[in-house]
Formats: sequence, structure tokens, C-alpha cells
Amino acid sequence: MLRIPIGERPGWKARAREFGFGFHTMYGEPYWDESAYYQFSLAEVERDIEDPTAEIHQMCLEVVARVVADDELMRRFCIPESHWDFVRTSWRNGDPSLYSRLDLAYSGKGPAKLYENNADTPTSLYETGFWQWLWLQDNVDRRALPLQADQFNSLQEKLVNRFRDLQFLTPGRAMHFACCKDTEEDRGTVQYLEDCAREAELDCHFVYVEDIGRDAEGRFTDLEDRVITWMFKLYPWEFMFREEYGDYLGSNNIRWLEPPWKAILSNKALLPMLWQMFPNHPNLLPAFFEDELDRAGEHEALVKKPIFAREGANISIVRGGDSQPLSDGPYGEEGFVYQALHALPQFGRNHTLIGSWLVDDEAAGMSLREDDSMITQDLSRYLPHAIV
Amino acid sequence: MKRTRHINLERMRKAASGRFSARPLALGVAAAALMGCAPKEEVKVVSSVDDCVSSTELDEQQCEAAYKKALAEAERTGPKFRSERRCESEFDSCQQAGGSMWMPLMTGFMVASMLDNRDRHSGYYNPVYRYSRPHSNYYNRLMTADGEVVGRYGKSSYTVDRSSTRPKPTVSRTVSRGGFGSVASAKSSWGGGRSGGWGG
Repeated sequence: MLRIPIGERPGWKARAREFGFGFHTMYGEPYWDESAYYQFSLAEVERDIEDPTAEIHQMCLEVVARVVADDELMRRFCIPESHWDFVRTSWRNGDPSLYSRLDLAYSGKGPAKLYENNADTPTSLYETGFWQWLWLQDNVDRRALPLQADQFNSLQEKLVNRFRDLQFLTPGRAMHFACCKDTEEDRGTVQYLEDCAREAELDCHFVYVEDIGRDAEGRFTDLEDRVITWMFKLYPWEFMFREEYGDYLGSNNIRWLEPPWKAILSNKALLPMLWQMFPNHPNLLPAFFEDELDRAGEHEALVKKPIFAREGANISIVRGGDSQPLSDGPYGEEGFVYQALHALPQFGRNHTLIGSWLVDDEAAGMSLREDDSMITQDLSRYLPHAIV
Repeated sequence: MKRTRHINLERMRKAASGRFSARPLALGVAAAALMGCAPKEEVKVVSSVDDCVSSTELDEQQCEAAYKKALAEAERTGPKFRSERRCESEFDSCQQAGGSMWMPLMTGFMVASMLDNRDRHSGYYNPVYRYSRPHSNYYNRLMTADGEVVGRYGKSSYTVDRSSTRPKPTVSRTVSRGGFGSVASAKSSWGGGRSGGWGG
């Protein structure tokens, strides 16, 4: 694994416009950065990323099975009791899932370590599945990369195929896609999924989360009063459970993507549960609930993470009794978990995080994010990769 | 190969912005046009049982059944308005649709003209409506219940996206909105976020 400088494609910003990639620069800072790429060997990808990703996902599913069967654990995962049936039923029915992203720390040496699982609302999907694919294609075409250069990225192909399967499992329903207003990035992610779904010949509609309505029978509706029967929402379950319409979940006949059982995977309580069930697994970092901290004595430093949080918010490092906040944010009221400190690898001044994607339970590709500081956060940059 | 083998770039291209500008007021004209070459299908549009018998290969009994099905679909999926006046601002004639809602009378219904597949005729007979708001870009166009344009009114057969022939979502009466999104808006007032998104 190497970080290799490369010339930008001439006119790539015009190309971004052509393909509707509108958020490559945010708040005046570059988000998409093609002045360099990460080079992997095929062995690194297959042995160290692809295989462990599929294996970690299976371990995560075992955690879900354990948690749904145990009231105490449901409480630990902060699933509101009024929604236990909703989550449990979706797991027991085997409600199908679409995609997720594991965040991994990997340097090219030793095993990749799981930071967390974005199983409910992962973003940077378009950049990964399409835009970095196009970057590789363009650079091979202009001979800036060798002809045999490849990429660990079958995301778009797998998404389209997955939508075909989902339509087969869900006949006669149109899919409503939803995200929040005023966020170009989320709208871009959802637009991309709509494109993939249309490629698979699904009937697609869009509604903003804030615009969802309900009729007298408690069925959810879009702005044209169409009843929603199948919905992809880029909006976290833990929010929906606690909102006004949360009371109607489970009583209306809707198939959800991601399914409600994903609320257990996108939850940081997953991390100490994984460590309890699979102690010393090479791809896991030691992790603890607050009341297990007496067992964390051997670890010099711990990262304290809120149970619910987005993109590295509200993180601090705890050394002995000393807590040093690393990032700010609005999360933490539901409690925290602790994970042994394992710094991201550095390439020059850059701290690099790997996002490893799954479509259903198949490893499907990889994305790389860089930050100047040791936690990747809002302003981290996206860099493409190649297998050479 | 570890990457997607082929992506049809034509279909990933996004038209210039403003593509949603000319939509009818109440009907959400489906955005399917943005993908270009969706699979097509040939359909007849008939306005009555008699028309059905003379223009399609269905017999009278089949046409009667198809007409009833289309009426039921119109009841379930047709656009609903809160007043007769608003309904009639977009469609010629309207009727009460249960509760205090109004919906347009169906102009006709679609019958797939391909006879090689028997299933198609036991399938769905989607109602269509003639849009009649003066000066609209959609004036005199036939549409399905969800606003997908079938073509200019008055022809006997049309080539439509296959999605036009599939059943449409139920249309109901919304009694409240805004029951989702409050947690996100409380958290975003804190002001973090690259673009304020809720993904990760």
C-alpha cells in the first residue's frame, strides 16, 4: 500500500459537472482530491480487506442475533422498548438489506482493524461506486495508469444486481427514496441509488424526510399523497424511533431499506459486543462498555465514542483518569463505549482511513479518506485507489 | 477484475438543472425521463368497453373485466384534490372520491397490445387521464395516475415505458406532515457537518 502522486485529469471539474458530482469541493476545501492515489497489491486487497470484510460482517450478524434475543442487550443498545417488536420482527422475518460500510485502519502491514460499522446510513457511495471508477477509467485511457490497473470496486454492479433481487423479493411495489433537506451530499447519495434502482427497472419516487406525511390509517405518504409501501431512507433509525411518526412504525405495511435490524449494527455498542463474542480476533480492537472498564486496565489509552454519533463527532481519548476531547458535537446523551486506541496509519502528513463496502453480505469495494488530524471528520478528503 | 465491468456513461450523465421546472401543479411528473432509454412497450388506449372490443383482441367479457379493473385502479391510485375547483383546474371533469376529496374521471385505460404473452391481459389495466390545464406544457397529454406522460391525447396506440404498465401506488389523503426530521434539525442547529448530512 503506497500513496503515489499523479497528475489531475485535465478538465475533471467539467467532467464532474457533466455527471452531476456537485460536492467535490465543500466550504472552500477540496473533498475529492486526485493529486494522488493509493496503490494496493491484489494480495493486500483480497487477503487484508475483502476477506476480513465479509468475515467481520458475519460476526456482526451474530451479534444482531444475540441482541434481538435479549431484553438486557436491547436496553444496552438503547433501542426504545416501544420499538423492540419492530426491530425483532424485521430480523426474524429476514428482511433483506442493501449495503453498509466498515471503517478500517490498515497500513499495508498486519491485519486491518475495525473502527466501526456504518450499516444504516453510509455515504460517500457515489464517489466510490461511480466517480473513482471513472477516475481509473480516464487515467487508463490517457495512459497515466497502466492498462492492467484495476480497482477494488464492483459497488455499482452489485448495487444494480441487488436492486433486481430486491424487486423480485418485493413484487408490485414502487420504491420511495428519502433523505433530509438542505444537504447536497445526502441528496447526491440518494440520487445515485435511484439511478442504480432505475437501471434495475424499479419504479422510483423521491420524498424528503421532513415532507413525509401520514393518512388517517397511519400509512405514510409522499407530497403527491401516494402511499409509501417500500422505502429507502438515508436517515438513522435511532432518530426515527424517537420522532413523532415513530409511533406508526411497524403498524403500517412498509418494507424498509435499511431494515430496522440495522439499528443494532450502526450502533457503537456493537464494538464491545463483538469483542465479548470474538475476543482477540485479529481484525477487532479491544472494546468495552462503561461498566467493563475495570477490564481495560492493560490498555494505555482508550478512545471514548458515543453510542450514537456521526462521522467522528464527540470523540475523546482517555489515558488513566485523564480525558482529552478530540472533537466536538451534539451526541453522547445515550452513553459511551471505549475502544483501545489504535492510531490511523500515516502517509506523509496524512492520516488514512479505509471504508470497506458491502452489498448485502458481499464485500464490494473500497474508499479512502485522508485527514490532517488523527480522526477523520467532516473535512477529510476522498482519494481514489488502484490495484497495480 | 475487481471492479464493475461496464457502466453506461450515457445513462450516468445528468441533464442541465431545471429539468423539473415545467411539471403540472398537482401531478408529480415522473422523473424517469432522466435515464433515457428505459424499456418500452406498445399499448392501446381505449375509452370504453365498446372501444376496447373493437380496437383490441380482447372479447367483450374480457373488456368488461378490464374496464372494471381500471375503474378500481383509478379509485385507488388516481390523483386526489381537496376541492372540485382545484381538480378541474387540471382536468376536464371530476368526481367525488370518498371523504371530501375529488379526482378526475378516467379518460380511458391501457391495454397491452402484445398478445404473445397471455399474462399481460390478466394483468393491470392502468387508467389514464387527459391533462387539460390551459397553457401548460402538458396540455392535452395523456398521463397515468402518477403523472407519467403516455403521449398526446387522441391516438389509438402508444409506445410507453414499461413502468407505465405496472400498478401505481395507492393515493390517500394525508392528514399531517412533518413527523420525521425533528432530531436531525435539533442536532444540526449545533452547526457541525461537512454538508449537514446525516449519513456517515
